[in-house]
Amino acid sequence: MEYNVTIGIEIHVELKTNTKMFSGAPASFGRRANTCTNEVDLGQPGAMPCLNREAVREAVEACTALHLTIDPVVRFDRKNYYYSDLAKGFQITQQFHPLGRNGYVMIDTPKGPKKIRINRIHMEEDTAKQFHMTKVSLLDFNRSGIPLIEIVSEPDMTSGQEAEAYVSELRQTLYYLGVSDCKMEEGSMRCDVNVSIAPIGAEHLGTKNEIKNLNSIANIGKAVDYEVERQKKLLEAGEKVQQETRRFDEASGTTVMMRRKEGNVDYKFFPEPNIFPIRLDPEWIRGIQASMPELPEARRQRYAKEYGLGEHDINILIANKEMSEFFEQAMKGSKNPKGICNWLLSDISAWLNRHEQTIVTCQLKPQNLAKLVAMIDDGKISSKQAKELVDDLMEGRDPEQAASAKGLQQLSDTSAIDQMVSEVLTANPQAIADFAAGKDKAVGFLVGQVMKRSRGQANPAMVSERVRAELKKRTA
Amino acid sequence: MKNAGGAAERCQDAYAEAQKLQEKLNDVITFVDPAEQLEHLPEQGLMRGVPIALKDNVNTKGIRTTAGSRILSNYVPVYNADIADRLAAAGAVCIAKTSMDELAMGGTNLTCFTGAAHNPWDVRRMTGGSSGGSAAIVASGVVPMAIGSDTGDSVRKPAAYCGVVGVKPTYGRISRYGIIPYASSLDHVGYFTRSIKDACISLQVLAGRDDRDMTSSDRPVPDYLAELSDDMHGKRIAVIGNVVESIQNEKTVKMFNDLMDQLRARGAEVDVYQFDEDLMRAILPAYYLIANCEATSNHSNLDGIRFGVREEGEDMQAIMTNSRTKGFGPLIRRRFVIGSYGLFQENQERLFRKAQKVRRKIVEAMMECFRSYDCLIAPASGEIAPLIDTKADQDQLSSDYLVAENYMAMGNFSGCPSMTVPMGFEEGCPLGINLTCRPWEEGTMFGIGRAIEEITGYENLHAEVK
Amino acid sequence: MEEKKDAAYFKALAHQLMFDLSDEEADSIVREFDTLQKQMKLLDAVDTEGVEEMVYPFEDETSFIRDDEVTNVISQEDALANVSKQVQGHFVLPKVVK
Repeated sequence: MEYNVTIGIEIHVELKTNTKMFSGAPASFGRRANTCTNEVDLGQPGAMPCLNREAVREAVEACTALHLTIDPVVRFDRKNYYYSDLAKGFQITQQFHPLGRNGYVMIDTPKGPKKIRINRIHMEEDTAKQFHMTKVSLLDFNRSGIPLIEIVSEPDMTSGQEAEAYVSELRQTLYYLGVSDCKMEEGSMRCDVNVSIAPIGAEHLGTKNEIKNLNSIANIGKAVDYEVERQKKLLEAGEKVQQETRRFDEASGTTVMMRRKEGNVDYKFFPEPNIFPIRLDPEWIRGIQASMPELPEARRQRYAKEYGLGEHDINILIANKEMSEFFEQAMKGSKNPKGICNWLLSDISAWLNRHEQTIVTCQLKPQNLAKLVAMIDDGKISSKQAKELVDDLMEGRDPEQAASAKGLQQLSDTSAIDQMVSEVLTANPQAIADFAAGKDKAVGFLVGQVMKRSRGQANPAMVSERVRAELKKRTA
Repeated sequence: MKNAGGAAERCQDAYAEAQKLQEKLNDVITFVDPAEQLEHLPEQGLMRGVPIALKDNVNTKGIRTTAGSRILSNYVPVYNADIADRLAAAGAVCIAKTSMDELAMGGTNLTCFTGAAHNPWDVRRMTGGSSGGSAAIVASGVVPMAIGSDTGDSVRKPAAYCGVVGVKPTYGRISRYGIIPYASSLDHVGYFTRSIKDACISLQVLAGRDDRDMTSSDRPVPDYLAELSDDMHGKRIAVIGNVVESIQNEKTVKMFNDLMDQLRARGAEVDVYQFDEDLMRAILPAYYLIANCEATSNHSNLDGIRFGVREEGEDMQAIMTNSRTKGFGPLIRRRFVIGSYGLFQENQERLFRKAQKVRRKIVEAMMECFRSYDCLIAPASGEIAPLIDTKADQDQLSSDYLVAENYMAMGNFSGCPSMTVPMGFEEGCPLGINLTCRPWEEGTMFGIGRAIEEITGYENLHAEVK
Repeated sequence: MEEKKDAAYFKALAHQLMFDLSDEEADSIVREFDTLQKQMKLLDAVDTEGVEEMVYPFEDETSFIRDDEVTNVISQEDALANVSKQVQGHFVLPKVVK
């Protein structure tokens, strides 16, 4: 039996602002409990909401970057329900008039690029944090009122890979905008994934299951794939898929039921009476859009055009915004984009991983990387020698000085090399005979001997070329 | 209100007098010793040294604020309402937090958790509500000004029953920040005085933009007293015919009509204006639906968890449920149930949204009238304050009195400034007349009120409590 | 169309609103509901075809939005001033079962 898989994703993103969505209390993290609140965040009687302009600005940026149409009139609604982390007993959100509608992102799939549509983006506020101990639960309202945007996709995804690619693209875009840290593991980006399957040709969609508490993008793919299989097995066994809320258990790689969904909760949405509709100045919106930072899409295209880098390398480079920015800094002093890129993505990335650092925390200076690549290109040192300089570079030292201090320099002086080649060949008549007999391995052996004699400092490409030339001469 | 020296004596006298009358009137929930405020009195201020009272839904930092409800009987705010700051900056001194219907949801002042408030003119009678305590404390001469709030008529009705001036300015004229809400799209901060002149000065102090209240207006605040004019020439006044015709009491009608003749004699054009009767009869149901629905949502924060009286329980749900069951009076709980019902998705279109559409029609009808008239006028009530001991159900959603007793919500739907001033007496108890003008035309409203005040001679009227 | 809702219905509704009703209170609401139905007839008598809901008293759009500056933060002490129990600066609840 073949099935159509339907996946939709809702993402909540905490925006980076100084203050809360509706109050002038600080939006800070990691502070002592209940030290970043005021009467508004605590839902005390008589307090009233006051909208944060920076939150609106960031939400406008997000809508623009994701190609949504922006509603220039901002309107809010109340979502009413009771829970200990909801100070007012209602959340102020945009149910009826989201800030943005009808956007999309492009993702890569094995079948080629695919458009995933975004239904809406709206602004709302975060709830308090709860800590569950054995006998009590503790409440910290520092997070209460932090600005959020909620991004709701159309159910356009059909696999774990597509779900991962969608969230990844979204995350990257928002991160490049600078509107959020987008850290799933810290909760500044939270994904809820809805999965349903139905036999091909069926009239209706299958029963939807919601998967929550996903703490990494990789887990999204795993969770979706598992869930699809689970639902398939149920249907094949002639059973029904129940509507449930599930969580992903990382250890077992399975989804586990959290609770049954008992019908739909009625949130009694109605317009927020304490906030009049606000018309955003079109000039203000245009100004925001004009001064948005470069986004991954545009950067990808620019890297291909300007630097001629391959798609694979571009994707990896761009996946880390700080890395790509470092790359551009290094390119200011370099003519070799591929060289810089390779170094960043291989030796330097490896070093960072080993030392648990990032391109931002290490001491590597972009101009030093540029210098290193130039030294190799100019033949001053070999790539192999350059690798010995990685630690120095990562600790902030100048490569020329470091090479000098270590006595590393590549011998590229033709006459010196020829001298050594001559000596080595003379000392190894069997190798010459082997070469004459058609054993090409002899070349490598002889090159190795020359390198040894030069203590690794000879330019290997040059040595190889001179050895062959001399061999030809002596076997002609 | 005189700003002469002797502020301390004046305030302490008021404080003492309030306590003396408490037994008879029960109009105060919390007394506030003026000593500390007197120590920090500003050098200048439009109301320097004037003792005032605040309805107990006004947040006062460090001073218990209950909104008339048991669930807040231990709540001490950590912040001041905007108007509390403005009044203090003007030199006013608060000596009491006054009694009110629980959470402002009532028209009798019989539902306060500290018991019923009594009318200073006849202590067997109610003050009306929900701002009854403030009306009484001004009517009894204790303070010259007290703050109230008006969502359907909660300043203007008790003003009529207590024989004082009761003002509900334009929506957004006074900041609602720090006022415990009832229904946010209908709530107005209002106040009581014993004269139009004092009403002008009070509004000057209270009015003005507050960025924390996104519905507050940034229109400049005029000098109402300087602009006060009692000249009725050219003033076009519309008597709401539907209200007058629905009043059973002929004496009230005659008193009112005589007053209209006097206004005519002063040069005003006074006509009888008829609104569509079905529209008038829809005012109360529309008000109840909108108000109860918004109130239910507004009071979802009263759960005992972060403030208020907490009743214990085994989990969050039990704590919330126990706290709210014990903390809310029966009337409020019934209102919440009805309110919630109106908001359910399947009912919203029929009920809540229908009421909001009717609201629009009512406001459009008023604005239509205001194209040809400067003021809508009618008796504030057909009768004097009812006896407290009437066995009638306090909150009957009855079809009687739909128009005569409950039309003033028009002023809340439309946000128009509306004011009650004393009109006359029956059985020794006051009756009031209500006037409503176009948005932002408080000046016109005060002017007509002043003319009426001159005609009746009721400036600075106050009751001797027996 | 008249709807018949009984005391049990309103008790359940109240419970959803996080409070309980006594039997008398529930019965009282059943009667009030009857009156509510009559009032709905009064609303229905007003023709609202093509009329938009009025949410606010005034319908002028505003343009003011607050700058993103810290203006008002209260101390931890003030935040907890109205509760009797706290644990390391947190509000306390018996264990919540989600």
